[in-house]
Formats: sequence, structure tokens, C-alpha cells
Amino acid sequence: MNRELEAQESKIQDVQAPITAASPEVKQIIEKVCRLEKSRLARKSKGAVNEDILAIIKEAVK
Amino acid sequence: MKLTSIKFCNFRSFYGQTPEIAIAGGEFQNTTIIHGNNGAGKTSLLNGFTWVLYEKFTAAFAVTEQLVNKRAISEVGEDQAVECWVEVGWEHEGVRYRAKRNCRVYKNPTTIDATKTKLTIQIVGDDGKWYFPIEQPEEIINNILPVSLHQYFFFDGERIEEIVRSDKKAEIAEATEIFLGVKVIDLATKHLKEAKKTLDSELAAIGDAETKQLLKHQSKLEREISKISQRQTEIAEDLESQQVFKKDISARLVELSSVRDLQERRESLENQKRKNYDELKKTKESLKKAISKQAYTLLLSETTVKFRDIIVTFKQRGQLKSGISREFVSELMKSGRCICGAELKEGGNGHFHVKSLLRKTGSSSVEETAIRMGAQIDDLEKQAQLFLEMINREQQRIYQLKTSLSDIEMNLDSIEEILRKDPNEDISGLQKRLDEIEARIDDLNREQGSNEKEISHLNTEIDLVVKQIAKQKQNEGRQILAQRRIIATQDAIDILTEVKNRQEKQFRLQLEKRVQEIFSEISVTPYIPKISEKYELTLVENTTGIEAAVAASTGENQILSLSFIASIIDKVREWSEKKKIMMVPDSSTFPIVMDSPFGSLDANSRRHIAQTIPKLANQLVVLVTKTQWREEVESEIMQRIGKEYVLTYYSSKPNCEEDFLQIGREKYYLTCQSPNGFEYSEIVEVERN
Repeated sequence: MNRELEAQESKIQDVQAPITAASPEVKQIIEKVCRLEKSRLARKSKGAVNEDILAIIKEAVK
Repeated sequence: MKLTSIKFCNFRSFYGQTPEIAIAGGEFQNTTIIHGNNGAGKTSLLNGFTWVLYEKFTAAFAVTEQLVNKRAISEVGEDQAVECWVEVGWEHEGVRYRAKRNCRVYKNPTTIDATKTKLTIQIVGDDGKWYFPIEQPEEIINNILPVSLHQYFFFDGERIEEIVRSDKKAEIAEATEIFLGVKVIDLATKHLKEAKKTLDSELAAIGDAETKQLLKHQSKLEREISKISQRQTEIAEDLESQQVFKKDISARLVELSSVRDLQERRESLENQKRKNYDELKKTKESLKKAISKQAYTLLLSETTVKFRDIIVTFKQRGQLKSGISREFVSELMKSGRCICGAELKEGGNGHFHVKSLLRKTGSSSVEETAIRMGAQIDDLEKQAQLFLEMINREQQRIYQLKTSLSDIEMNLDSIEEILRKDPNEDISGLQKRLDEIEARIDDLNREQGSNEKEISHLNTEIDLVVKQIAKQKQNEGRQILAQRRIIATQDAIDILTEVKNRQEKQFRLQLEKRVQEIFSEISVTPYIPKISEKYELTLVENTTGIEAAVAASTGENQILSLSFIASIIDKVREWSEKKKIMMVPDSSTFPIVMDSPFGSLDANSRRHIAQTIPKLANQLVVLVTKTQWREEVESEIMQRIGKEYVLTYYSSKPNCEEDFLQIGREKYYLTCQSPNGFEYSEIVEVERN
């Protein structure tokens, strides 16, 4: 049972592995963009998103 | 989201403010049971949650426009308002929330008008006090449990099969995508691609790198300069050697006794010529300087005449007076005392006389300025005169020098002419040679001058190119940055695509496996739930060895729906701990509020569901009729009950049949006669010993 749990856990971490392995800049972009998309899903009026995404990229890569 | 309470005021069958219904939230005793007969308000209670949180109602909730309790409306006068609200409390990640939605209705002679509803949220701060957060209430709720997912947690058990109906496939697929974080990845990828396009066009706008071309042009110009400079050195050397030749020939002429005098005379004239040229150059320069410094004084004559006219007019008007100044008299009046010591009181004789002096005095500051400017004007006039004299002198000098130079040149010409025509061939030959050298020197001087001009022109051009290069280099920096951003964006897109692929393999299959496990625990059928690559949920059977879709009964679909919800809760709870980035909702605990469950199910399935759901959901609120709360359900859930309530329905129907629940030694009425002619419900907490 424990082994199965461990195996599952490693699989979950495996899903995220590309993000964990990414450069700090790329990681920052992914995390911030995902957070933005999550909060946009929660928002009633969505508005334009491109400017926000560009700001995230430009902030991460200076 | 862990629900903590719900409270009503004039909402549907609840008259006035109800007591707060506390929702069980224990680890094991996580179930709240609410008993009620048909019409007692079970569906209203379920819809209380969805109305507050999402302003939504379940399909079974009839006449949604009649939210306000009828008794409350009947008790107010015309044009008076009735307040109706529901308040839901919950905890999320250690923070307590309280959301309240209210609306008002106004009773008019023929109509009842309702206002728009208003949602407010309060949260408990670190100091334990309730305050209003700055975020929009809807946004707060949607972040915790999105509206698109609410139907999987607040539902009518009799219609729960609807979520897996074939026409709802897209809806449940989207919900699953949201749960698994696929939706966030898809949106992030889509928007990152759009952003990349913008970055691409930004890069294009910075322009192609012209630096290389500019650098090439710069080195070409530099090569030209170096070529001309080389030529300048050659010219200088040539000039020097021509001078040496000239000196040499001149020396040889001196050696020839017959023309020695002439040659010496010529050398002396040439010396004079050089000196005169130097002198002429100096004189012209000093003339230039004087003109740029002082020529303006000659242009001021009209202005000085005007100034003098003004001064004369001032004097004629008596505005420029010597003697006592206006400032002095004003000061006396201000101090209230004359220089003789007499007091100067307003209205007094002394005051009148001193005041009249003001009209006769002039301002000392105006007078001073007039005197100072007068002196400056005099000085300017003197300067103009001196300038004129100096110009005349210098011009005369120039004229003298030019005349003298012309004389010298004439003398030199005649000497050269004599030498050229000298019968002695040595002499005339030497003179011819001298003429040639002179012509050569003249050519070289001209070339030197034109080369200097060319070098200066090329240098200006180089300066310009250098500036352009610097600008271009700045652009290059911007280009490199833009390219880095594009690469990072592409990396982010690639990584998210990869994560989506892995998620597809891991999460979808794990979720599918869990649905299959739960479904097979509850159902007696051999059917297998499947989650397709498009996240569509279907039921298949495999008895013939070929997978085929099942035309499932309502009961099977209800089991499938509940299995799906239970497995989602189970899996999302497990994943969200480690996968905060993408998970929506931002939560690992989920409540289930279900009205009239077990409706179309047989006893066996009811038992299994009653066993499974409290185990998988973090929290369970079940609204049941007496018949739904039968042996197998009661016995399975009993141990897990944390809170229990009865909705007592007061019927306005005369002689209505009373109904009650016997719990222990207590009787809890489900239906009884209304004492006041109105139908309404009351909430009574059950005390089990």
C-alpha cells in the first residue's frame, strides 16, 4: 500500500517535473500566468489579457 | 471550502430570522442531516446556499421570483419594504468567511416589486474582527469554488443523473478540465501564444541590424581620410623640397655676380612681401573681432534718441525731481510722525500738508535708474565713436598694406622678367626653373587646402555614422532582450504543453480509475465508467469483448454522477496539495449539499451510497424526507452525524394531518397545524442522547 502511495506521489511530482526543471525566468512566467488565468476564471468581467501576460513576461525577462 | 453555518430571514418558507443552522465539520462526524416533509423547505435550504454564493437555483426550485416569505409581505403596509436575506458561513484555508445576499421587496397596491440582490462578504482578520475585504465578493467565492463547478457540490439528488446526460457532456468535460487544471494550462498556453505574436512584431519593429553596414561605411570613410592624410604628408614633403629647390636656385643666382644685386633685391622684396601678408592677415582678424564685439553700438543711435526724449518728457511732467523722495514722505506718514516731531494724525492739519507733498515729490528709485541709464547711454555713444575711428584706422592700414604688396609684386615681376630675359642662359634657365617651382608650390598649396576641406567633411560624416552606430547598438540590446523574451515564452508554452500531456496520462487515468472503483463499489452492474481524452464521462460495458456505450437507467446514471463527484473530491484533494499552480478550485476540501438523495435507487445502492459519500466528501449535508431516511441509510450514516435538524412545516390547511419523527424519547414535528393561518417552516435542532 505504501509503495503504491509512493508511486502515485512520484507520478504527481512527475507531472510537474518540466516546471520544476525550467529556468527561473520561465518558471516565473508559468507560475504567474497560471495564477492570472485562475483568477480570470473566477472573474465575471474578463477584459483583455494580452497586456497582463506581456507584463509578466517582461517582468520575468529583463 | 468548509461550510460552517446558514441562516435565513424571510426567505421562502422561513418567516423572520431563523436560528443559525450549524453545519457539522468534524473529521469523522462530518454529516448534517436535515429532515423535512415535502413543502417544508428542504429545496429552499439547498437553494439558500446556491442563491447566496452564485445567485443560482436548482431546476426543482419553483417560482424563483417569489423569494420573499408571503407572511412577511402580508404584514407590511403599502409602499413598505420587506427585507429578505440568507447568510452562509464557511472556512477556507484557515480564514473564516461570511457571505450575505439580500434583496428587498416593496408592496404596491397591485404588484410586489423586488430590488436587485446584493452580495456582501466579510472575513475575520488577524485581530478576530470581521471586516470587508477589498476584492469583489463574486471573485472571492469563484476563487474558492467556481460557479461552473457549484452544481457538483450543491445538488438535487433526485436529478443528479442530469450531470451525465448526453447533452451535458461538454459541460462535465469542461468542469473536469477545470478541476484537473487542464483549463488553466489551455488558457495559459493560448494567451502565451498570443503574447508571443506581440513580442514577434515588437522585435520586427525594432528593425534589422544595420550596425554592420554602418561600421563598413565608417571604415570606408576612415580609409579615405587616411588616404588623403597620406597625400597631405606627401604634399608637405613636396612643398618642403620645392622650398629647398627654390632656396638652392636663389642661392645659385646670388652666386652669379651679374645678377647678385637683383637676386638680393628680390629676396628682400620677398621678405617684405611675407611680412606684409602676415600683417594684412593680423589686421583683417582684428577688424573682424572688433566688428563682432562693437559694431552694434553704431545701430543704437535711434534708440538713444528715443531714450533722451523720454527723459525730457519725464522732466517736463515733473516726474523726475530732485529733493525729497516720495518714499521718504510715505515713510513719514506711515510712522505717524513728522521730522519736526509733530504727530501726523489722519484728518489732522499736519497730516494734510505732508500728504499734499506726495503729489510734488518724485520716486527716488525712478530717478536713480534714469541717471544710471543716462550714463550708460553716454558711454555707448562714446564707444560707437571709438569703434568708428578704429575701423577707419584699420581699413587705412589694409589699404596701405595692399598698395605696398602690389608695389612689391610689381617690383618682383620686373626683376623676374629681367632675369627671364637675361642673355646668360644660366640665369634665364634658373629663373625658368624658379617659375616652375613657384607654379608647383602654388598647385601643392591648392591641393593641400582642398584636402583639408575634404578631411574635415569626412570627419563630420564619421561623427554622424558613429552616432547612428551607437543608436543601432542600443537597438541591438533591445533586440537581444526581445529575442530572450520570445524564447522564454516559447519555453513556457512548450513546458505547459508537456505538463498537459503528462497530466493527460496521469491525472485523467487516475481519475478514471477512481470513478471505476467507486462505481463498482456501489453498483451491481458490470458497467465501467470511462473518461475520454476529451474528458467526456461515459458508461461502457465489455461483456461481449467489445467496448460499447450503455443506455444506462436513471439509477445507474445517478450512481455514475455520485461516483464522479466523489472521485473528483477524492483526487483533487490528493493532487491540490502538491499542485497548487494550476488547480482550480484553489481548495482541497469540498462540501456536498444534497437534497432528496437516493430517490430512484434500490436498497442496496442506497446503502452503498450512504456508506461511500460521507467517507469521500469532507463534509456532507443531506436533506431527507422520512421515507428517504430509511433503515439502511440511517444505519449507515448514523455514526457520522455531527448535526441534525428538523424542518417543522406549519400548514394553513384546516385539520391537516400531523406528522412527526420519534428520535429517542423526543417527538419532532414534521407537519402541524399553523396557529395563525399562514404556512411557514421552523428549524428545530435535534438532540440525540
